[in-house]
Amino acid sequence: MAMRELVTGGATCAVPGSSSSSSNPLGALANALIGSSSKTQERLKEIPVATPTGPENQFFQDGVPLRTLPGSEQDGAFLPPNAQGSEFLRTFHSAYQNDLADAWDDVQHGPLPHVVSDMRAGTVLRPPPTLDGPPQRMLSGLLHSFVDSSRGGIPFRPAQLPLLGLSERDKQCIRDRSTIMGRHFFADKSEDFINSQVNALLHSLDIDSDVRAKGPLPGRYRELEEYWNESQGMMRPVPHVADGWANEFNQLGVNPGNPESWARSFEQQHGSNGWASEFEQSQLMAADRMRGANLPNMAAMEQSRMLAHTLAQNNDPKFQNSKFLQFVSKMSRGELIIDDNQVKPAPGDWASEFQQQYNSGPSWTDEYLRNRGPDQWADEFTAKREQVQSADDQWANEFSKLHMNDWADEFGQQVAEGVFGEGTANDWANAYDEFMNEQIAMKQQSDSSRGVYVFSDMNPYVGHPNPLKEGQELFRKGLLSEAILALEAEVMKNPNNSEGWRLLGITHAENDDDQQAIAAMMKAEEADPSNLEVLLALGVSHTNELEQAAALRYLYGWLHHHPKYKTLTTPEMPLSFYHADVAGLFNEAAQMSPEDADVHIVLGVLYNLSREYDRAIASFQTALNLKPNDYSLWNKLGATQANSVQSADAISAYQRALDLKPNYVRAWANMGIGYANQGMYEESIPYYVRALTMNPKADNAWQYLRISLRYETSTKGSEKHSFYSMTCTTTLITIPLANFVAPPPGMTCWKLAILGIWMLSKRSSLCNRQAPPVTRVPPPPHSLGQWWRFVVHR
Amino acid sequence: MPAFKIPFNGYSVKFSPFNENRLAVATAQNFGILGNGRVHVLSIPPSPGAPIVETAAYDTADAVYDIAWSESHDSLLVAAIADGSVKVYDTNLPPASNPLRSLQEHTREVHAVDYNPSRRDSFLTASWDDSIKLWTVDRPISVRTFKEHAYCVYAAAWNPRHADVFASASGDCTVRVWDVREPGSTMIIPAHDFEVLYTDWNKYDDCILATASVDKSIRVWDVRSFRVPVTVLNGHNYAVRKVKFSPHRGSLMISCSYDMTVCLWDYMVEDALVGRYDHHTEFAVGVDMSVLVEGLLASTGWDELVYVWQHGTDPRAP
Repeated sequence: MAMRELVTGGATCAVPGSSSSSSNPLGALANALIGSSSKTQERLKEIPVATPTGPENQFFQDGVPLRTLPGSEQDGAFLPPNAQGSEFLRTFHSAYQNDLADAWDDVQHGPLPHVVSDMRAGTVLRPPPTLDGPPQRMLSGLLHSFVDSSRGGIPFRPAQLPLLGLSERDKQCIRDRSTIMGRHFFADKSEDFINSQVNALLHSLDIDSDVRAKGPLPGRYRELEEYWNESQGMMRPVPHVADGWANEFNQLGVNPGNPESWARSFEQQHGSNGWASEFEQSQLMAADRMRGANLPNMAAMEQSRMLAHTLAQNNDPKFQNSKFLQFVSKMSRGELIIDDNQVKPAPGDWASEFQQQYNSGPSWTDEYLRNRGPDQWADEFTAKREQVQSADDQWANEFSKLHMNDWADEFGQQVAEGVFGEGTANDWANAYDEFMNEQIAMKQQSDSSRGVYVFSDMNPYVGHPNPLKEGQELFRKGLLSEAILALEAEVMKNPNNSEGWRLLGITHAENDDDQQAIAAMMKAEEADPSNLEVLLALGVSHTNELEQAAALRYLYGWLHHHPKYKTLTTPEMPLSFYHADVAGLFNEAAQMSPEDADVHIVLGVLYNLSREYDRAIASFQTALNLKPNDYSLWNKLGATQANSVQSADAISAYQRALDLKPNYVRAWANMGIGYANQGMYEESIPYYVRALTMNPKADNAWQYLRISLRYETSTKGSEKHSFYSMTCTTTLITIPLANFVAPPPGMTCWKLAILGIWMLSKRSSLCNRQAPPVTRVPPPPHSLGQWWRFVVHR
Repeated sequence: MPAFKIPFNGYSVKFSPFNENRLAVATAQNFGILGNGRVHVLSIPPSPGAPIVETAAYDTADAVYDIAWSESHDSLLVAAIADGSVKVYDTNLPPASNPLRSLQEHTREVHAVDYNPSRRDSFLTASWDDSIKLWTVDRPISVRTFKEHAYCVYAAAWNPRHADVFASASGDCTVRVWDVREPGSTMIIPAHDFEVLYTDWNKYDDCILATASVDKSIRVWDVRSFRVPVTVLNGHNYAVRKVKFSPHRGSLMISCSYDMTVCLWDYMVEDALVGRYDHHTEFAVGVDMSVLVEGLLASTGWDELVYVWQHGTDPRAP
C-alpha cells in the first residue's frame, strides 16, 4: 500500500536528531539566532510537590537496573489474537497483587542511566518566532485550502506557491501529516482520491509525494545510462521506462551535494566529451518531463471545477460560511492570485479575461512556470504516474469538459496521444501550429478593433511622478518592455501628449509589435496631426503590415506636412494614392535636398512597399551614409536585403543594428528571418527565441519561429529533430504562458526559455554576441544538475 | 461565558483535575501540518459571563497535538509535540525555566498523552511512529515501549480502575488493550473498518470502552465479549475525532468530530444522542468534561476558539 509506505517510510521519514530543530523556517531562524543551545546544563529543579499524592515516593532512588522492568525485555513480542479474552481477564483482575506492586517499585526505583542534569533539553523559543511573515501566510492559506477541501469531499485545488524555503524536514512534515490527516478528512473517499488530494497539496508545495521516501537504489548509474540510451532513441511505449528514469534521475537530482561525483561517473561512461550528448539527452528528458508535469496540472484544473460544483451543491450554511471554503472558492474563481509571495486580489481585467479562457488559469500556469528543477519534474512525474496512465485516455475528455479553448484542447490531445509514443516533437509543433492558426483567426476576427491601443494590466508605473522621463530613460537603456509600461502610464496621465504616444509607438515597433505601434502612433497623430516623425513611423509600420494604401497615405502626409517639401504636394490631401506618384514626389524631394536622410529613408520604405528591393537598398544605404548610427536604419537595410536575395548581407546589417542597440527585439527577430531565408532554419531558431524572450508578444516572431521549427523538424534527421523540437517546444510552452499570465519582466519562465537559447548556443555557437541584460547567459555550469538549479533558483 | 480566542488552531483541551478553574489547551499553527505550537493555560472565571483569561502560554517549535495534566502535581503539564518530543511544563515555574523536560524518543509525531489516574507519576504517549511509550515523570527515558500497532497510534487511555491496563487506538483499525506487566498486548479488538482515532474507558465500568473512528461512528465495547460492539452510535457526519466518558455518569459520553459538532451521548438509552452543540465553525477536535464541576464542558477546534460551557446552555452565550 503506497500510502502506508509513504507514512511509515522507514528511516527516511523519521527525523533523527532534530529534537530541538524547529519545524518551520522562522522557527529555524529563531533557533539559529538565539541558538538551540538552550540545552543548558542546569540542574533539574525538583518539581514542587504542591499536592502530595499516593504513598510512594514519586522520585526515583537507586535500585534495580532498568532492564528488570516488567516486560521490557520482551518488548515487541505479543500474544496471538485468539485466546486473549481469558488471558486478559485473568490479569485484569489481578491488578493489585503483590508481584505487581514489586514490579512497579522496580519501575519507581530504577536507576537513571543518564545524569539528571542532561534532561533539561527543551527547545526554548524565546522570543517566540514571528508567525505572520509572508511565507507563513502563504503556507497557511494553502493549508487552509487543503483542509478546506475535506468538507464534503471537495477536491483540493492546489495553488502554486513560491519557494517558501521549506526544509526537507518541513516537507516531510507536510507530506506525512497531510497524508495522515487527509485520511481522516476524506474518510469515505477512495484511496485514490486521498492520494490525489494530498498529492495536489504536495505538488503545489513542490514536494514530491513518494520518491524521496524510498531509499536509494543500488547501481543507479548503470541503470540510468540504460534509460538514457532508451530515451535517446525512441521513447518506448512502456510507462515503466519513463517511470524508471524519472526515479533514477531523481535519485541524482536530489543529491545536489555531490555534483562532482555525478560528473565523474558520467565521464566514465561517456568519456570526457560526453557532456554535450548528455545534455542533449537530458533535454529529451526535460521535455518529456514537462509532459508528465502537465498532467497533474490538468487534473488539478478538473478538480477545481468539481470543487466549484460541490460548493454550489452544499447548502449547509456553516460550510458556506467557512473561511476555508471562501478562500478556496475565491482561488478557484481567480479572485485571488498568488503573486510575489502574496495572495492578492486579482486585478479585474486580465484575471477575468483569463478566467474565461482558462478555468483555473493562474494556478496551473503558475505551477508550470514556477521554479522547477528536473528533480521536481521527475518527482511530479513519478508522483502522478498513475494519473498519467489513466489520463492518457481521459485527458482529452477532461479538457473538453473544462471548456478550454481550442488550442489547449488540441495541445492536450497531442500530448495525450504522444506521451509515450514516437514523433512527439512533430505533434507538438503541429499542436502549436493549430494554436497559432487559431490565434491568427481570432486576430482577424477582431480586426474591427484595429487601431485601438491595448494597455497592459498591472502597470507599476501608474502613479509615477514623471513616467515620460522614466520611459525615455528605459527606452534609451533598451529595456523596451519596461519602457512601454512607463510610457503607457504617461499617456494614461496625459492622453494628449503626442510625444508620449509617439515614443510608445516607436518602442512597440522596436519591440516588434506593429499592431500596438500603429495604435499608439494613431493616437499620437490624433494629438498632433503634423508630427513628421509620427507620420513616418506610421508609414513604416503599415509597410511592415503590408498595408500599402495606409502606408502611402502616411508617407504622403509626411511630405505634405514637411516644411521643406510641402510645396511638392497639393494643398488638398488626395483621396487615393498611387505608389508611383508618391515615389515620384519623394524622388523630387530627394533631388531637392540629397543630404536629408529622412527622405531617403522614406524612399527606401516606399520601394519596399513596391518590392523594388534593389532601389530600397540603395536608398537606405544613402541614408546610412548620412546617419550611420541609426540602428533602426541598419535594421531596415537588413530587412530589405533579407527580402531580396541578399540574406548574407542582411545578417551583417542586423549585426550592426544590434551592435548599436543590443535589446532591439525586432533586429533579433529579423536576424532569425535572415537565416531562415537562407534555409538555415536551425540557426534561425535561437534568434527568434531570444527575441521572444524579450518580447513574448511579438506575434510575427512567433510565426517565423513556427515556420523554422516546422522546416527544421521535417528536414533534419530524427536525432536532431527531436533535440531541437524538444528545445523549442520548451520555449513554445513557457513563453505563451508567460504571455498570458506574467507581468512581462522577470518571470521564471523566461529563464526556461533562456535555457533553450543557451543550449542552442552551445550547439551552434551562434549566439556569441554579448547578450542584452534581459537574456544574460550564465557561464556553463559544472554539471547538468547545477545548471538546472542555477536556472531555476535564481 | 465568552469563547477564548487562541492564535492557532485548537487541538486539545483538558480540565485540570486539581483546580476547577484551570484549563489547558494544545494548539498548532496551520492545522498542525506545519508550524509552531503553543500550550495555553487558561483560567475560567468564577462568575459566568466574565472572560476567560490566560495565565500562561508556552511556545513550541512544532505543533502541540495533545496535553495532559499531571495527576500528582497541580502545576504539571505534559504536552505531546509533533516533532516527536514530549515536553513537561510546570506552570509554577517562570517561563524561562520551561519546559521542565523534553523527552525525545518518539521518531514521529506524538499525537496523544494520557496521565495515569491511579499510578499518578506515570503517563503514556501515543505516536505516529506506531508505538506507545510509558514514562514516569522523573525518568529521562521511557520505561517501556509498546510497539505492535501497524500504523499510527492516535490515542492511549489508562483504565481508571486498573493502574496497569490501558487501551490504544490506531489507524490500523484496531484497538489494543495492554497490561504493562505483560510483554505484549492482551487483546486486539478489530474495532472498526476504518482508522480508530480515539478510545476511552468508562469511568464506572472497567470493562467498557468506547472508540471513535473515521467511519463516523462511535462504538462501545465490552472487553469481556469484544466480538461485537455493545452499541454503535451514529450521528456524526464526518470522522469522529474524540470520544470521552463522563466522570459523573457512567453511560454519558461526549464526542467531537470533523463535522464541526460536539455531541453528548448516553449509550444505554434508545435515543443515544443526548445533545448536539453546533458552535464551532471549523473542525471540532478537542473536547473535555470537567471532573470537578459536573456538566462543565470545554471544546476547541480549528476555528481558533476555546469554549467552556455548562451542559444545557449555549456555548456561545456571552
